[in-house]
This record gives sequence, structure tokens and C-alpha cells, in this order.
Amino acid sequence: MQLNFAAREVTIKLVYYGPALSGKTTNLKSLHQIVKDESRGRLMTLETKDDRTLFFDMLPLTFKSGEEGMPAANAMSMRLKVFTVPGQVLHASTRRLVLQGADGVAFIADSQHAQTENNAASFLDLRDNLKEMGRSIKDVPLIIQFNKRDMPNVRKDAEIEQLAQKGKEPVFTASAVKGEGVLESFFGLLYLTWTKLDEEHQLASKLGLRPEQFLTLAARKLGHQGDVGSLLAACVGGRLLRTGKGR
Amino acid sequence: MTADPRSAPEVTELSIDGLLKLEDLVDRTALTELTKSFYVLFGIPVRIYSNDGALLADASNEHEVCAYVNTLGGGRKACTETVRAVRAADPEDATKELVHPCFTGNVYRIVPLDYDSRRIGRIILGPYAPPALNDVPQTFLDVDKGLDKAKALTLLSKVPRAKPETVTRIGNHLKAALDLILFSGHKALLTSQMHLLSVRESYRELQEKNQKLQEAYDRLKELDRLKSNFLATVSHELRTPLTSIIGYSEMLTEGIAGELSTEQAEFVKTIHEKGEQLLGLIKGLLDLSKLESGTMSMRRRNILIKDVLDEVLSTLSPIARKKGVELRLDVDGVSTELRADPERLRQVFINLVDNALKFTPQGGSVTMRARMVTSSSDGEDDAGFALMAPALSKVEVRVIDTGIGIPAHERMKVFDPFYQVDSSSTREYGGTGLGLSIVKRLVEAHGGSVWVEGNEPRGTAFVVRLPPATLASGRPPAPA
Repeated sequence: MQLNFAAREVTIKLVYYGPALSGKTTNLKSLHQIVKDESRGRLMTLETKDDRTLFFDMLPLTFKSGEEGMPAANAMSMRLKVFTVPGQVLHASTRRLVLQGADGVAFIADSQHAQTENNAASFLDLRDNLKEMGRSIKDVPLIIQFNKRDMPNVRKDAEIEQLAQKGKEPVFTASAVKGEGVLESFFGLLYLTWTKLDEEHQLASKLGLRPEQFLTLAARKLGHQGDVGSLLAACVGGRLLRTGKGR
Repeated sequence: MTADPRSAPEVTELSIDGLLKLEDLVDRTALTELTKSFYVLFGIPVRIYSNDGALLADASNEHEVCAYVNTLGGGRKACTETVRAVRAADPEDATKELVHPCFTGNVYRIVPLDYDSRRIGRIILGPYAPPALNDVPQTFLDVDKGLDKAKALTLLSKVPRAKPETVTRIGNHLKAALDLILFSGHKALLTSQMHLLSVRESYRELQEKNQKLQEAYDRLKELDRLKSNFLATVSHELRTPLTSIIGYSEMLTEGIAGELSTEQAEFVKTIHEKGEQLLGLIKGLLDLSKLESGTMSMRRRNILIKDVLDEVLSTLSPIARKKGVELRLDVDGVSTELRADPERLRQVFINLVDNALKFTPQGGSVTMRARMVTSSSDGEDDAGFALMAPALSKVEVRVIDTGIGIPAHERMKVFDPFYQVDSSSTREYGGTGLGLSIVKRLVEAHGGSVWVEGNEPRGTAFVVRLPPATLASGRPPAPA
């Protein structure tokens, strides 16, 4: 996170990690479509070959924290940078570079049974890369998304739920091509990340914005019409809310 | 960012949120060309300023009315103030434009340039005349008493006229063109940054791996040295008691300790024979370890290969005769001297010929043939022949037999210590499996090379190539 009080800017880096072809870029594309025009920047895709990410995709989302009628000078610019890493094994160094400085990570897993091992391998890769940067995966805000729910031969909902209940990380299900679960996962990650940053940097007192308030604001500014609580409620397990679901 | 990748031990962070500057992403000259084409198209002056107020591109000719204003004292002053105010004007919101009036009745349009939700500069369009400007306004008349109203009106009418919505469209169009340039520039910047960083990261990884490999290699070398030392010591220590065993068994055979029964003599003879065999093996091991550790002493002098091979012939002829194998020597015309240890070379050829005899059945033949050859180091044999041939001339000795032969894929392995083509052959032909590995190391110690070829229609040819004395001088001098 970069907190620039002089320019009144908060920049947060979120990274979508996961095995090759699990739908990281698709998540970003869906998110780009869902978000309101005024809050989203261009989706930047850096170097692709045969539709596969070689470097990264980046989606900048920005909004102001100020309310209508409030002096503009008091508002903070919230800048969210959402990245994807290249999933293919050979791009290990690029993954590490993109992961550097991430405030939160969404792990996009492929729900298909056949991808079980790839999911696990990619997760270990994430853990190792974080470790190499001197960070522990336990300290990084992390949500898990089981993507491709629309595909045949996928892990059953009940099974995922059962796994999620036993785990620590909040788990979401999604079908990124259909835009389902994309926003829920994103807000789950955003909430978790902001909560963590709030604890570390006392953002509530510095910016006058509690995590729940931040989330409500972000949802409204990014164009979500409904209740924010319902977005987080899509989480099927793990620990997301301080007093919420899961263990 | 440091220029030297070696000084970056950690992964370097991609600067994803550095403050981008308009002047860093666009080329000023090219930007000026773009604005000029807008000016040509619409007739309205275009200027582009960076966020800190630097003029990056300017496409405008001074309107005649402006030139006239500047001839008047009051006019010049008012004009300077207006221009300063225009340049300082800053539209608050990215979506809003600002219209700034000039006292002449003309107007300026200020279009903000934002990238990635940050202000990075502005476009100033104008001055141009709004459609309603039909008369010299009071503000113009007031600037200077000497103003010629009729002239001012004529000149004002020459100022290009534009409707507000047209100017908005022009502004948007220019903004879109610039946005494309900025986005492309930003993308290219990040891509090149990524290229650089990932190359550096890969380099770092490779360095780490190299380091580990080097450490492993050093450790292995050290182990190898320890092994050779151990072997040399053990061989030496084994020889001492073995000499006694051989000596005493010899004395027993000679009857010094009393007459032996036939059976006892037979047993003692076996002890003696096996003792000698064991001694041979130990000597071989000792030679091998000395050759490997580079401590084998060589007494080199200039010799002729014929002398060495003659001795080999006379040494092994009895064995050949006994086996019924013909042993031939052919050294016609090789008069080139070698710089070598004759004792060691003899050892090489005795080993090879003895081996050949061992694997050649009765009625066959073993031939030692020496020739001068020109060895080509690679496939392009004829390149620079006149230069290369003298430098590549070698003495070649072929030991050719008509024996059982060695399969092609086994031919390099026969030089490995203790390797035997067919482990079952050990019993039939005997041998320790050390001879050829010693041969190879001895030949190499002389700067030569040895390999195996097949002999048509059957049998094997061992080929030894040694450099002539004139060319051996480039090597380290032989320890005396």
C-alpha cells in the first residue's frame, strides 16, 4: 500500500494468482465490465501470446472517498490496482515480480477435478514466492475462488463448502465467463485487505473510514446497487468477517 | 534502479504507481506535429502544457488582432495578464472544461488532461471568436485610449469563429488522441520494465544455481582427490606384506624349507601365482591413482616409436607363438621423434598387444602399424590445410587384431576403470579391467589420444595418436 497524505491518495495492489488457464484474466475482464465507467481505467494487457498472459494484466480502479457536498479537499483518492500473474510454470520470475508488494491475493482455482493437482502446485508456488520475499502466506490477506462452476466434472458445491468450512481462507465460487461470483470474490478480497491494512496502519483514525464504511463506499462507487453484506455473504467458508461465518 | 544486475540481490519491485509525467511519455517534436495538424484542420491555435506549466507543444500563428493589441501600451499589459490567467486556470474536474474570456471578446478553452485519474497537463485552445462576436466589446475599447475601433473590428472579424460545441468536439478529439498515445506509451514503458526486470530476475536465479553447482563441483573434486590419496596409500601398504607372501611362497617352491609333496608344491605354486596377480593389480591401482592425481613421474626424452614397438614385439612374441597367433610390426617410414617416457609407452603398447593377443583365437593375427597422419580436429577437414596440416601431424599406431571385436556402443566404455565388455568374459580371458584405463591416462599424459575402431571384417583396432616432439613443446615440461 502507498499512503500519500500530501496528494491525498491511497494505492492498494491486489493480485490474482492461480494455475494456468484458471480464469484470472477472465475475472479481470468481467470485473472491468461490471464496474462503473467513471471508476475504471483501461484494462491493460501486457504481452500475450496465443491468448495467454506473458507478463500481466492490470485493471486500475479509482474513486474518491468524499461524500456529495463535502469539501473536495477532504476527499482521498482510492486507487486500486488489480493484477493477474501469468499462470504457466515457466514464468516464475514474472510471477514473483508481479506479486512483489501485493496487499492482498485472490487465488483463482479451477474447480475441475482434473485440475486439483495444478491448483495445489500453484498454491505452493505462491507460498514459496512469498517466502522468498520474506513474507508468510499466513500474513497476506488471501481469498480462494473456485472458478469455472459452469463446467462439467467440477468439485461439488457441498464438497467445496465442506472444505471451506475447515479452512482459514474465505472461499468463493464463481463462473467468471458469466460474471458470476466475480464481484463477490473481489469485495471479499478488498474487505479482507482493507481490514488488514487498517490494523497495520490505523486507517480508521487516519482517514476516518472504518473497514465496513470503506466497503460500502467502494461498492457504491464501483457501481454495485445492492447490499454490500450480500456480497460478503456469498463466502462459503473460512474466516472473512470478524464475527461472521466460519469458525 | 541500479544498472548492474549483480548488485540487485532481491527481486525488484515493479514501479506500478510511479507518477507519470506527460513529458516522459510523449515526444515533444511529435506532439508539436500533432497539434499543428489540428491547427491546420480547425484554424484554432492549440497549446499543450504539462502539469507543472511547461509548454510542450505550440501550434499557433498570432492573430492580426493580437499583434495590433500588442502595439498599444494598455493592450500589451492586458494581453499579458489574460495569457497568465489562462495558463493558471485549472479545471477542477476531469470531465469539465473551462472557458476563459479575453478582453477582445475572443475566448480560450482549457481542456484538462488526466491519465490514470491524475492530472498530467492541459490543452489550451484559442483564442477564437464566439459566433456572437459582432462588435468591438467595451472591455476592448477600455484597454487603451489610442485604439482604432474600425481597425479593431476589421481585425476581429478575421479571427476564426467557432461554436462552443465544435470546440468541445475538437477538445475531445485531441484528448482522445493524446490518451491513446499516453496509454500506449505507458504500456510500452511497463513492458520494457518487465522485460528488464524478468531478465534480471532470471539472471539472479541462474547465478544462484551456478553458485550451488560450483560448490557441488568443488566438493566432488575434493572427494576425488581424497580418494586418489587413499588409493595410493592403501596400495603402497598392501604391497609390503604381499612381497613377503610372494617371497616366502617362492622359497617354499624352491624347496628351501624342505622337499614338498606334489600336492603341496601345486598349492604353493597357486599361492605364488595368485600373489603375483594381486601384485599386478595393486601396481595397476597405484599407477591409476598416480595418473589421476597427476603425480606419476615421467622421464621424457626424444625417442623413435620404432624402438618402443621393437621391444614390445620381442617381449610378446613368445606368448603369440605359444598361442598360435601371428604378431606383426609395420613401422615403415616413421622417423619422426616423439618426446615421451619410453618405459611408459612400452607399458601402453604391451598392454594393448597383450590384450589383442588375449582376445584373438588361434590362427589369427595381431598387427602393430605405425604411420604419420594429419588429424583434423573437426568436420571441416580441408579448411586451411596448408597452415593446419603441419600443426596437426601425429604419429599414429594402430594395434589391429582379428579377435572377437567390441560392439560400437561399448567402445568408449572400455577405458573406464574395472569395465569389461562382458562380465562373463572375465573368467574366460582373465584381467583386472584396469589395463585400458591406465593406457588411456598414460597416452593422455603424453598429450595424445586413444580410441577404438572396428576392424573389417572382424576384430578390433586400437588407435593411439601421439604428437611429434616438435609439437610437444607447448605442453608443460615433463617432470624429471
